[in-house]
Amino acid sequence: MIDPMVVELSRWQFAATALYHFLFVPLTLGLSFLLAAMETVYVTTGRTIYRDMAQFWGKLFLINFALGVATGLTMEFQFGTNWSFYSSFVGDIFGAPLAIEGLMAFFMESTFVGLMVFGWARLSKAQHLAVTYLVALASNLSAVWILVANGFMQDPQGALFNPDTMRMELASFGELIFSHDAQSKFVHTSIAGFVTAAVFVCGVSAYYMLRGRHLAIAKRSFRMAALFGVLSSAGVITLGDALGFVGAHAHPSKLVAMEGLWEYEEPPVGFNVIAIPNEEEMQNDYALRIPYLTSLLVTRSLHDPVPSADTLIERADERIRSGIEAVTALKALQDDPDDTEARARFEAHQDDLGYGFLVGFYAQDQDPALATEADIQRAARDAIPNMAIVFWSFRVMVVSGLLMLAFFTLAVIFTLRNDVHRQRAFLRFSLLMIPVPFIACEAGWLVAEVGRQPWTVYEVLPTWMSVSTHSVNHLIFSLAGFVLLYSIFIAIEMYLMVKFIRQGPTEHGHATAVAAK
Amino acid sequence: MEIYLLLKVTWWILLGVLLMGLAIMVGMDMGVGTVLRWVGRTDSERRVALNIIGPHWDGNQVWFILGGGAIFAAWPIVYATAFSGLYVVMLLLLWSMIVRPLGFEYRSKLKGPRWRNAWDWSLFVSGFVPMLVFGAAIGNALQGFPFHFEWHLASFYTGSFLALFNPFAILCGLLSVALSVYMGCAMLMIRGEGELYARARGFLDRSALAALALFTLGGIWVVFLDGYQLVQGPAPGVAQTPLQQEVVRASGAWLDNFLAMPLLWLVPGLAYLGLAAGRWGALNDRPQLAWWLGALAWIGVIGTVGAAMFPFMMPSSAEPSHSLTVWNASSSEYTLMWMLGFTVVFMPLILWYTSWAFWVMRGKVSAKHVEADDHAY
Amino acid sequence: MKTLMHFLIYLTIAGLVILLAIILGDYGTWYFAWLLGTVMLVLISAAGAALLDAQEEDEGRRRD
Repeated sequence: MIDPMVVELSRWQFAATALYHFLFVPLTLGLSFLLAAMETVYVTTGRTIYRDMAQFWGKLFLINFALGVATGLTMEFQFGTNWSFYSSFVGDIFGAPLAIEGLMAFFMESTFVGLMVFGWARLSKAQHLAVTYLVALASNLSAVWILVANGFMQDPQGALFNPDTMRMELASFGELIFSHDAQSKFVHTSIAGFVTAAVFVCGVSAYYMLRGRHLAIAKRSFRMAALFGVLSSAGVITLGDALGFVGAHAHPSKLVAMEGLWEYEEPPVGFNVIAIPNEEEMQNDYALRIPYLTSLLVTRSLHDPVPSADTLIERADERIRSGIEAVTALKALQDDPDDTEARARFEAHQDDLGYGFLVGFYAQDQDPALATEADIQRAARDAIPNMAIVFWSFRVMVVSGLLMLAFFTLAVIFTLRNDVHRQRAFLRFSLLMIPVPFIACEAGWLVAEVGRQPWTVYEVLPTWMSVSTHSVNHLIFSLAGFVLLYSIFIAIEMYLMVKFIRQGPTEHGHATAVAAK
Repeated sequence: MEIYLLLKVTWWILLGVLLMGLAIMVGMDMGVGTVLRWVGRTDSERRVALNIIGPHWDGNQVWFILGGGAIFAAWPIVYATAFSGLYVVMLLLLWSMIVRPLGFEYRSKLKGPRWRNAWDWSLFVSGFVPMLVFGAAIGNALQGFPFHFEWHLASFYTGSFLALFNPFAILCGLLSVALSVYMGCAMLMIRGEGELYARARGFLDRSALAALALFTLGGIWVVFLDGYQLVQGPAPGVAQTPLQQEVVRASGAWLDNFLAMPLLWLVPGLAYLGLAAGRWGALNDRPQLAWWLGALAWIGVIGTVGAAMFPFMMPSSAEPSHSLTVWNASSSEYTLMWMLGFTVVFMPLILWYTSWAFWVMRGKVSAKHVEADDHAY
Repeated sequence: MKTLMHFLIYLTIAGLVILLAIILGDYGTWYFAWLLGTVMLVLISAAGAALLDAQEEDEGRRRD
């Protein structure tokens, strides 16, 4: 028997540690490429100011990187410690990208990051540049494999259930890594990291320009980050839209929650700009709508039907009934593998196995075979994730994205005129922008992962079943430990970050070849 | 079918290789962390010690992550059962390990002696505790863990946290700490000078003797320990679950493989050879030799456990017939094949660029050097 | 002779890259787009920095 409280606490712990980890990851993804760009200018033009720049931002990169690595360890442990049924049930598929991530990306990243820091004097310019590029490439390759793993949870491609081993098994490696969900999610996430780094560099450079310090470095950093940022923020928006389009077809319950669509409407469907979803009544208490827009965004047409919560719940209800058959047949097969009747019954219903598991949460003894009519209805209602969280996180993310695009457009105008250092109001605004991409990234995580509920693997394995069979005390112990440690970490991190930003870059080089004379 | 059998055994060997890589490389860094406060008396000596492993600790740590990833991918049910069953231990291991990156990265960023002292202690904890747990986990695996499965293979762990720290497990834990200190000191001797070098040699000497004694004691102990025997089950090359076999406990059963194949006695022999000759090398100021012989000792120690337990990976003391073995705990043939493909391509690459990184950073590290370098730890 | 050698080596690399790009472009369109986009981002931002240096030198010369 699984204690519902353990499910709840495990979810909180995973969400908290993942969101915390995801504070550091985007900056690593983007800043590594910005460092590479800076060093490229240094190597090709020989102007040492770009080396100073690369070294200064490199120092901030490392402070951030250390925490990214540290908190990433937690994630790798946590699948086993807290989600052990999940791990054994889909490990055949999910474990592979994680292991390949270590083999192909993380090893490279970690080995070369050491050389990047310590190798300035020992490597030739070209070698060091190559090392920096490898760090950048590897950190993003890391993201590829993690998002392949995550893509499988969102839209399980290339996998089949094997009743003889009682688990999901990989059927096509190609389908797994080239799944559209994995691909589009990687591109969107990586570019979101680029935007984050660009805002960060612009913001910190603005701080120096406001103080009139390190002007040469600040102007150059700002220019590079602004150009990097304007293109990537445009990219993140278009890719976000594309991801929404891909996701809407693979994963309608998430779409329904993102857009606040309770009741079925004849197309074209309007877009809820602002709405107050009411979970009890299953309707929006208030909604400000733009006609036609949802249809255009989701189906790219005015005639195709758009999914809604009520139709999805109805479908879930049917699939749960069929899933119960699958679970009972599977159990019979487990007792006697030669039971041909049970095997035939299982094969007829196996697509709905996950729905059969879903209802177990409410059923007596957590046995789907004992589910009552009321249990089935409650479980079917659960097929729609918490609408308010998904709906509002989505809007926070979108608004932040648009805000950053506007910011970078202005930033590019000013920096191309080379008078950004005189725009004091804009510089102050740049400082205020620093938290925005981080908020957007966290909101994006919430949309993706809360929107996937009640499943860990969409329509295959429900969240409640995925947890380890712990007692509540175990979870209280670990949660307390994480809260304590992570609070100390963030305090130290912020302190060092601010200290080194205040201290500023060490300047050895000169701004221009002319000034050097 | 025979391919599947071959893949299972290959992945069992690969897992062993990864555990050895982890023990040698991560253990070395953790050994430095363990003795840091004693091998370096002044702040500048400690900084030299940290900078000796500074360029490599991050890359080395990936052996650990890769080990975890490989267990997850190739032996998912072992990963799930071990990590959830040993919940408290795993969290202590994790917490002590995540302090380490910060210890390296942040320690020397500020000047205050209290700041640096605090990080030195945290480096001690994050060196000593993980190696103790690593060894103790292997010690417990030899005795079996109290777990069982439900019909759909959800695992239940019925043991307590404190029971994991039984005398035999602690002995194995201390052996692993001693070996890690040995390797750490060998590295400090390779790239250190003067006082630091001399003290590292002293610690190496003592840790080699301790490891020899603990390994011998552990070996004798195992003779009287309850081992596990696979009585019957599905053919090894068949896809199966851990619920289809019959396993019994028997005193001294861990010696069965050695008795059946006397050639295996060479494996523990490697451990003795490595430690004794390595100690001799270090005392005669040949630290490179001592390092490689230490690595050989690790291979011997982990190889001995593997040779004794095969085909068992995680025996169950609560329900011996639910024990996880090489035959029933692996991933599917298809996944193992793909993973093998990636390993064959990327493992040589990893070894190549890791050794290149060591070659680039070769040579002695001096206090003057560390003070002058803006990037030093 | 040395130039010819370099030319041939780079030509081989270019051929390999095109081959890989065709495969990746077929199966992983998004990954391929990411690769191109990222290279473009890095190059444009590097070019922007070089442009700033040119602008400043130009301004400096005019002030003199």
